[in-house]
Amino acid sequence: MANLICKTSKYLVLVFMALYTIKCYTYFTAKDREKRNSNLNKQIFYIFMIHFLCHIMLFINKEDVTVLIYYVVEIIIAILYIVLFRIFYKNSSKLMTNNVAFLMLIGYTVLLRLSPKLAVRQFILASIGLGVTIFIPFILGKFRNMKDRYILFGIFGILLLLSVFLPGVGKVVNGSRNWIDLKFISLQPMEFVKIIFIFFVASSLVKLSTLKELIINAAISAGFMLVLVLEKDFGAVMLFYVVYFSMVYLATSRAIFPILGLIFMVAACALGYMLFKDSLFAHIVVRVLAWKNPFAYQDTYGYQVCESLFGISSGGFAGTGLGNGMPYLIPVAESDFIFSAICEELGVIFGLALILIYLSGFIAMQNIAMKCKQPFYKYVTFGIAISYIFQVFLNIGGAIKFIPSTGVTLPLVSYGMSSVFSTLICFAIVQFVYILVSKEADDFEKERERIAYGEGSQNVSRNETVPGKRTRKSKEK
Amino acid sequence: MSPEMRQFLEKEREKVKKNRIKNKPLVVMTYLFVLVFIGMFSYLIYFMVKDTDTVVAKSSNKRQDSFDKYVTRGDIITSDGVVLATTEKDAEGEETRVYPYGSLFAHTVGYNSYGRSGIELSENVNLMRSHVNIFSKVGSDLASEKNIGDTIVTSLDVNLQQAAADALGDARGAVVVLEASTGRILTMYSNPTFDPNDIDNVWASVHSDEGSSSTVLLNRATQGLYAPGSTFKIITLLEYMKEHPDYENYHHTCYGSDIFNSVSIRCSNSAAHGDLDLAGTLAHSCNTSVANIGCNEIDIGELNKLAESLLYNGELPYDGEYSRSQFKLTADSNYSEIPQTVIGQGDTLVTPLHNALIMQAIANGGVLMKPSLVDSVQNADGVTLINYKSKSCGSIIDPELTQDIIPMLCQVVTDGTATQYLGSKPYTVAGKTGTAEYDNSGNCNSWFVGYSNVENPDIVISVVVEDYTTNQTSGTYVASCVFDAYYGY
Repeated sequence: MANLICKTSKYLVLVFMALYTIKCYTYFTAKDREKRNSNLNKQIFYIFMIHFLCHIMLFINKEDVTVLIYYVVEIIIAILYIVLFRIFYKNSSKLMTNNVAFLMLIGYTVLLRLSPKLAVRQFILASIGLGVTIFIPFILGKFRNMKDRYILFGIFGILLLLSVFLPGVGKVVNGSRNWIDLKFISLQPMEFVKIIFIFFVASSLVKLSTLKELIINAAISAGFMLVLVLEKDFGAVMLFYVVYFSMVYLATSRAIFPILGLIFMVAACALGYMLFKDSLFAHIVVRVLAWKNPFAYQDTYGYQVCESLFGISSGGFAGTGLGNGMPYLIPVAESDFIFSAICEELGVIFGLALILIYLSGFIAMQNIAMKCKQPFYKYVTFGIAISYIFQVFLNIGGAIKFIPSTGVTLPLVSYGMSSVFSTLICFAIVQFVYILVSKEADDFEKERERIAYGEGSQNVSRNETVPGKRTRKSKEK
Repeated sequence: MSPEMRQFLEKEREKVKKNRIKNKPLVVMTYLFVLVFIGMFSYLIYFMVKDTDTVVAKSSNKRQDSFDKYVTRGDIITSDGVVLATTEKDAEGEETRVYPYGSLFAHTVGYNSYGRSGIELSENVNLMRSHVNIFSKVGSDLASEKNIGDTIVTSLDVNLQQAAADALGDARGAVVVLEASTGRILTMYSNPTFDPNDIDNVWASVHSDEGSSSTVLLNRATQGLYAPGSTFKIITLLEYMKEHPDYENYHHTCYGSDIFNSVSIRCSNSAAHGDLDLAGTLAHSCNTSVANIGCNEIDIGELNKLAESLLYNGELPYDGEYSRSQFKLTADSNYSEIPQTVIGQGDTLVTPLHNALIMQAIANGGVLMKPSLVDSVQNADGVTLINYKSKSCGSIIDPELTQDIIPMLCQVVTDGTATQYLGSKPYTVAGKTGTAEYDNSGNCNSWFVGYSNVENPDIVISVVVEDYTTNQTSGTYVASCVFDAYYGY
């Protein structure tokens, strides 16, 4: 009987997952607000069903009552987050709050399966993160002169990055010196510097008027990346690089910059390979070899990728069901290779849906950036969107051997407090821009009404349509 | 509409237009990433459809061991349905792997623990996957019962295997029998053997201090490397015939012993064979005559090439574990190595399986068929899931040369070294005996390689018996017993 419940749950999760994914996309095509809102409410229902069924599977397989306690606490926090965000910010993007809640719940579930200890830590820290970042849109609203602070962003960002070289504080993990150990907590400064970097580039690009300024800006940005190269954190270098050139492309509207960037990157890689094959680049050479033919090096550096592929392929399209596979065999399954652990037990179909959900989050962010008319916030949103999707690409691509693995986390799902915190901050910033955009639209509407009212005596018919529209709108909110 | 309103809307339209132009890079980047993600999405599907089966089947995949939570390991049977390995369940649901024939198929079927071996290893994934029909599957799901894994149908033949084992008796050695036209392995027996039902004790004793030199787990048929002895003369003669189309005119007078390249070569018991042609040389396995050919008549570089085209120093087309055979003589070698090497002594080493493959190519007019142990995979209800067709590995010997050497191989049986055991049988046999010295005190191993029913070859056999001098069981005798069993005499 237990077996039957597990199997049914497994397939139901896939069905709800598919429905959730579809709703992520039909949101964009929905004609009116009512339809959108019903879509969003259905999404919340699917989130709870998926989460519930996963915990049923975990409960049956682990035969552990604490799973139920985790379930209750997790779901309470998720509801609190969704409700509070809606109350605090009437104009916030509900699609985005849904996605945040969904991804975090998936993360907790998989971590609970892999290691309850990590799940609890992640849960506590992420809950604090949610509690703190919920105020970010409000705080950003108070600081309206952010775009003038680019010198501050630049200096602060580089100093923070350099902190990993402080003796006694910096820590080497997996060959990269990119952690700082503050005794009570370990942090990856890169995750936060990423955001500062986006603000730095955005603020200096807003002011940009001459080529000289662009070169200075490029030099400082290169400084960021140089520090990352010294840390041997090559995943981060790629991330910063792609974000930087995308943002320059947006600010200048000239395709020549990203193309130059691409050529320069290939040249730099070739040169770096020739000069530092055995020292600085040894790290990369090994990862590329492990990517080209992991099974030839399966006892050494291909081990992670091999185990990851074993996990994905043994699980199959439908997965083994939570608790039935062996995802713990995959090294660092809780962060870099969490996607493989998900595919193994929840199924490749689940993994495919997850890819689409991440993509829909990116499209939503780009949509907001597109509507934003203030260049600074447009650039910031765009930078965050690119960094978010590129990180997903590096993580999932690395796990499924689409590209060499780079040791980047999967936003909101992977274990890691720096990563979760920084992603939550990013989402909160985008929420702020969304609120800004909605406010602009409202202001426009109000201005039009004001003028229309002023004309009221001359044109009666217009006078009637505008308030009519308004009442319908307020009802929807 | 008032001018104020018009102006206001105009301004707004301007803003939107400006924004749209600014947004072009944004749209481009969005499409770019959508494209990349579609690529990644498709790659994952492609991987699942195309590569999963090979990845799952990798022996380093530890997850294979977890399949036994849901699947009861399938049976291994012969082509006529005799069970060679099965899983028995007791009242408590405790499973044990049972081998009804005990030690008879130990090396070939293998064992299912300690890293596995034989078919248990190579077909592990199929044995642990269940393809019973969907109703049985749902039924066992509901009842929380395991599904039964797929059945491996092997090409092995219990009668022939038993005959080989009986003929070999206590002597150490190995027997390989192939179906000539397909390469299906009918017999693969290695002695000393062990009882896989008792693998725990066997494993313990092999890994104890006293047992550390034990070779009981070694499958001599595929992993035992032996000097080919006189069976190698086939290759030397093939080279001679290749270089000398007028080989029928060959003549050599044997005095029982002679000096070649300052090395003394003796025939068996120093018996003088007198005047010999090429067929007589092979039939009587005359060492001096072959040494003469090797030292005076053929190009050693070409001989090396021929040996390598016959799979020496290379990979065999065989899926299980095996050792690579070696042939070290090259055109650059010291010329004093030639006489010993061309008669099959020296540094040359070959496995019984490899020798069987050479004979099979000769029987097939030069074409080598890939040796296989598994005919098909069936589900537990006997429905065939995968049917392995016999595969050709292409021609490795010139067909004309095989036509020329077959009559000589027949003469070995009708009037030569194999006549004692095979000369008066109701079936025809072509083959070659061999006695390979493995030390300097005259101890030797006995070989026979050959095939039956020369006109339309039935089975190919390769036998090696160790320590011929002490246990007096010759390879030819073992071969005759297996042929008898095959033809029912």
